Amino acid sequence: MKRIETEAIVIGGGATGAGTLRDLSLRGVRAVLIEKSDIASGTTGRNHGLLHSGTRYAVNDLESARECIRENKILKKIARHCIEDTGGLFVTLPEDDPSYHGKLIEHCKYAGIRCEEVSVQEALRIEPNLNPNILAALRVPDGTIDPFRLTSANVLDAQERGATVLTHTGVSGIIREGDRAIGVRCRDRRTGVELEVFGGIIVNASGVWGQEICASAGIALRMFPSKGSMVIIDYRINNVVVNRCRVPSDGDIIVPGDTVSLIGTTSKKVEYDKIDEITVDEDEIATLLESGEKLIPNVSRTRVLRAYCGVRPLIAVSGEMDGREISRGIVLIDHERRDSVGGLITIAGGKLMTYRLMAEMAADLACAKLKVRKKCRTQKTALPGSERKLDQAKSVKFFTGIPNSVVGSTLYRHGQRIRNILHREKRNYGLICECEMVTEGEIEYALKKLNVKDIVDLRRRTRIGMGPCQGQLCAYRAAGLFVKYDSATSAESNKMLVDFLEERWKGIKPVLWGDALREVEFCYWIYQGLFGLGDVRFPEEGEDR
Amino acid sequence: MRYDCVIIGGGLSGLTCGIRLAEKGARCAVISTGMSALHFSSGSIDLFGNEGEGKIVFRPFEYLEKFIGSNPLHPYARCGSSRVREALFYFRDQLDLEDIDLYNNDDANHFHVTTLGTLKPTFFSQRSVFNEKIRLAFEKKSKIAALNFEGYRDFYPELAVINLKRNVLFRNIEISSGKILYPDYGDPQRNPFEYRSIDIARIFDTERYLEDLAAQIRTAAGDAAFAAMPAFLGITNFKRHHQLLQQLTGLLIYEIPTLPPSILGMRIDNALKSRFAALGGVYIAGDTVRGGTIAGGRLESVFTENGGSSALYAGSFVLASGSFFSGGLVSEFSRVREPVFGLRVYSHAERSKWHAQEFFPRNGHPFLEFGVETDERFNPLTDDGQRLGNLYCTGALLPHYNPIREGSGGGVAVSTGYRAAELILAGNR
Amino acid sequence: MIKLENISFDHCIKCTVCTIYCPVARATHHFPGPKQSGPDMERLRIKSPGLLDDSLKYCTNCKRCEIACPSNVKIADLIQSSKWRYFRKAFRVRDFFLARTDLMGGVATRASFLVNFFIKLFPVKFFLDRFMKIPSERRFPRYAQGTFRAWYKKHRKEQEAFAEKAVYFHGCYVNYNNHDLGKDVVTVLNAMNVGVIVTDEKCCGVPLIANGYIDKARKNALFNIESLARSASESGARIVSASSSCSFALKHEYPNLLELDNSAIFDGLDYITRFIHERFEKGNVPAMGPVPVRAAYHSPCHLERMGGVMNTIEVLKKIPGLELTILHSECCGIAGTYGFKKEYYKVAQKVGDELFKRIERANPEIVITDCETCKWQIEMSTPYRVEHPVTVLARAIDGKKL
Repeated sequence: MKRIETEAIVIGGGATGAGTLRDLSLRGVRAVLIEKSDIASGTTGRNHGLLHSGTRYAVNDLESARECIRENKILKKIARHCIEDTGGLFVTLPEDDPSYHGKLIEHCKYAGIRCEEVSVQEALRIEPNLNPNILAALRVPDGTIDPFRLTSANVLDAQERGATVLTHTGVSGIIREGDRAIGVRCRDRRTGVELEVFGGIIVNASGVWGQEICASAGIALRMFPSKGSMVIIDYRINNVVVNRCRVPSDGDIIVPGDTVSLIGTTSKKVEYDKIDEITVDEDEIATLLESGEKLIPNVSRTRVLRAYCGVRPLIAVSGEMDGREISRGIVLIDHERRDSVGGLITIAGGKLMTYRLMAEMAADLACAKLKVRKKCRTQKTALPGSERKLDQAKSVKFFTGIPNSVVGSTLYRHGQRIRNILHREKRNYGLICECEMVTEGEIEYALKKLNVKDIVDLRRRTRIGMGPCQGQLCAYRAAGLFVKYDSATSAESNKMLVDFLEERWKGIKPVLWGDALREVEFCYWIYQGLFGLGDVRFPEEGEDR
Repeated sequence: MRYDCVIIGGGLSGLTCGIRLAEKGARCAVISTGMSALHFSSGSIDLFGNEGEGKIVFRPFEYLEKFIGSNPLHPYARCGSSRVREALFYFRDQLDLEDIDLYNNDDANHFHVTTLGTLKPTFFSQRSVFNEKIRLAFEKKSKIAALNFEGYRDFYPELAVINLKRNVLFRNIEISSGKILYPDYGDPQRNPFEYRSIDIARIFDTERYLEDLAAQIRTAAGDAAFAAMPAFLGITNFKRHHQLLQQLTGLLIYEIPTLPPSILGMRIDNALKSRFAALGGVYIAGDTVRGGTIAGGRLESVFTENGGSSALYAGSFVLASGSFFSGGLVSEFSRVREPVFGLRVYSHAERSKWHAQEFFPRNGHPFLEFGVETDERFNPLTDDGQRLGNLYCTGALLPHYNPIREGSGGGVAVSTGYRAAELILAGNR
Repeated sequence: MIKLENISFDHCIKCTVCTIYCPVARATHHFPGPKQSGPDMERLRIKSPGLLDDSLKYCTNCKRCEIACPSNVKIADLIQSSKWRYFRKAFRVRDFFLARTDLMGGVATRASFLVNFFIKLFPVKFFLDRFMKIPSERRFPRYAQGTFRAWYKKHRKEQEAFAEKAVYFHGCYVNYNNHDLGKDVVTVLNAMNVGVIVTDEKCCGVPLIANGYIDKARKNALFNIESLARSASESGARIVSASSSCSFALKHEYPNLLELDNSAIFDGLDYITRFIHERFEKGNVPAMGPVPVRAAYHSPCHLERMGGVMNTIEVLKKIPGLELTILHSECCGIAGTYGFKKEYYKVAQKVGDELFKRIERANPEIVITDCETCKWQIEMSTPYRVEHPVTVLARAIDGKKL
């Protein structure tokens, strides 16, 4: 059995886990991150990517609102390439309670959120696709944030500072020595190799799955899972975040995210033992599209690319209420104090917006336990790629000869790291994913530097297969490149091609009508009718190695 | 404008029908919204390849005899197996006139190799995919070299070789892989890492580069007897240049269908259009039929997007507008409809039953079996139950068969297209 | 707001078929093809106009991608409109003049012999090439002396006497360069007992659109729609045009690209061979003598897009003695003013190469085509004379030598 010794162990590769890993690394603490799937594959990657201004919480949860606006300002400095400062609107529809508008203004004042009333005309100028029948509008400093990029940048920075990252590695148990947790037992889910990692402190940052981790250490911790569903539409139907100005409910936000827009969100209670099997329900899609259309009428004429859902990591504090009413506040648990189990802390609750703050809190406690006296530096230290302000025109000039669309898209995704990716060799900027302008060079970089183990991972780092065709042309090409760059054997490549298309299918299935169905027919025709991928026989593990 | 027959849809089925009609002297027009699904096909004509549950059909005509009895709604059942045979061989003869030779393994299916090295049973294939020489060389377990252009992003031989090597049929056959380089043809701006099969097909269509390419293939193939390459060996000069390449290299040059566009399919598309035109058929491209006038159980005329109010009149009409992909069927949030005439459609009321749970299910996706309901003469019903006696539905528009699961798409398109032509001709006599 | 008519890119399912049929992508590797420049890039342009690639300027707007598209995506419209939606318009003297065919024509026809003489002189060509970036290899169409309208004025009375009439949109080419074609239209229609009405018109807008003068194009379009609709409703006549590109603009570019409502003229407007063919079908065929000529017919891209090619072919087939070869449909490359620009000249010629070769193989005495710019391109690039189908028809009717 493989054995790793380190100072700190972080369980969970979501934004909080990755942020904690980075925070610790910045303080000089050696750390190992263990993630059962891919980074940002859980709740982190399954939200609508809103860079909250806090306005949404201002009326119900002032504390969260204040946290949001504080972190909003910090992230705009340290994570430039993961963020778009689009601005946001809160619009009142004819059927909405008009008094909420005034209430929101007032509470934003308490929270310190710059919230400005704009005329309907002005709102339509800011966002021309908006429903022209709105009655009132507010402008707020909402923005968008890409959770995949954010998490990946945190991990990359940590790794460059010496941290170790084990993805696709599941924790099978906490190793205890008396009343202390001293390490974790885990298994590489791809190779089957078992290993043990020992460290002075274990940070459980596994979100909703933290209940299982605690259970394996003999600790009772109850999560309150609540499902949120969203749909993605084919193109960026709005350039400004559009919120509905009413008491939070289903389908009241449309967020532009890179080349697409997302309509969010629903809220449904789910049983804890079902959290890995949740799917989007038919009625949720209908609700989201109906409400979305009220905000932006073009929604009804646009292709829906996919639907997906995530589980909110709320800790049940008291009673059983609707998921939305529970505070999304941060919960930091020192299990030494709570459960008399040393060496283990849990960080949970919160939201993507406050990942950095949560990481800071977890790392502060971890460092205290490790007796490391270093201050948190994540408020000021920019993430890799975000060191300087992004200037598209300059980059385009620097890379003369390479199409603007390629330069712009690469810069957008990787910030300053574009210099490590693009160069003027034709192979480097040959397009692989034609919808999202992902080049062979970007894939090579991701394979070598960004902990990519399969095409699904590659998608999270690059947006390959996230455009209208959902991987129809690029999935096969990407599978080929895994072999070309020695990142997989031919047999593994075949398998990951199936896995990738099945993963895409999960999100397409609930929205299978119209052009999405045509696209699927075509894609299925290519991969089954033409390639016979469904007929490929995958031998038992090890047979081909 | 008046024609004897107006055919809506210019794909495999519509053109087969048009050729048969035009050959018999009917004045025909084909109206096609865009290019047909042939552009993405394997370029082989499948008849019936799979029974389901992974069982392969080896003798398709024999299989059809009993299959038809238990599947009376299947388009083949409505044609009858002897007519299916007649249609397929008619089709082969027509392509032959356009210099596309199709080969069959007598009455048995043969396999063609896919991009991922799986084998697909099919009935007719082009000269670079199946013929007697290929069969003999394969039986002799001759060595195969899988070749590709350096930097071509749409083919990775390694992914195919691993699957071929696992196949019992390829046991004891040596397979190597190798690279060849694009000829220098003078435009330094192009990024060869973005070539599509069509760009390379144009290189092969130009005689100038053939010797250089042949020399490279010869070297890269080493002592192999086969050079297997992605299908990009030209379109317009394919037959001649394929022969020439085989002479120059002394190898059997084999083609594997690629990511779209499919050169193998385009050859058939070109040949069919050219044959149709030679017989005096009118091909109207880039126009969409929007509706028609129906009176007394007959379709009198159709009007198109470009034509505006001026209609196209004909004695008979054929609807060969394809499946969802080609726009023959349209799916909405909660229903499936036929967009031109609002014909009665076979589908499921519940959307969640349109598809299987996996993307690669054992028994295919139900939506592939949706289509326009017809009687045994391929006449459809309008939504209000009126039978249209002079409108014939053919090809992928038809329900009750699964082209991908069965491996029957090409055969159904050809035989129903041909059958519609025969019915129209019989009606006129 | 993204206009609803313009979101056809949303239907693109990335089948790549348009890239096969793009003559520009085949001729030059600078152009990444219609799929990428159109629907793919449109999503990126909506996200950020900074992601716009210059390469889309190579598109000639031949519309072959739209003919090929199985998803009804208005690919060429997307590319064309990007030119003015996203590029900041830099004023170019050359483009200004190339775009204003009526202004140039109005001036040149006053002293056409001088213009025609000067434009062939080396120093003039040198100047144009060097400073205006109009390639010296490019041959210019000759200007006529006076205008077609002036000729028509003298014949208006007799035309108005016919019981059935057609409103004739003659276009700039007939007015300033080739009166004979206009007269041939009159000959043919008169032989079919149809009188010809000429009403007020402005340049259809094709060169304006191609050079990004959208406001001017819209102004002209509104004028034409109004004028033609009025004239047609007064006389109860249909509207015809003998230029395939003018008719395409009037019928399809106005609504699709300029986003104007042309329903007042849409149904009444025909490219001339459709008008003639429909009447032929109904038995209104004029007496024709033989035209014993070996001809090759080239179908212009915009007529292909309109679906009008079969009408021309059917009409030509009716001419006794005419030995007709139908050339495989290829783009000639000139694309209006495109081939007049130095930066595109080579591409234009390469695009046309396939057509030129096919013409040579057909070895005709003349080439027939419906489009005036195709005519210029073929006459410049091959040794063959090019005639309009209506001209050939007129010779069959009046018995004069072709």
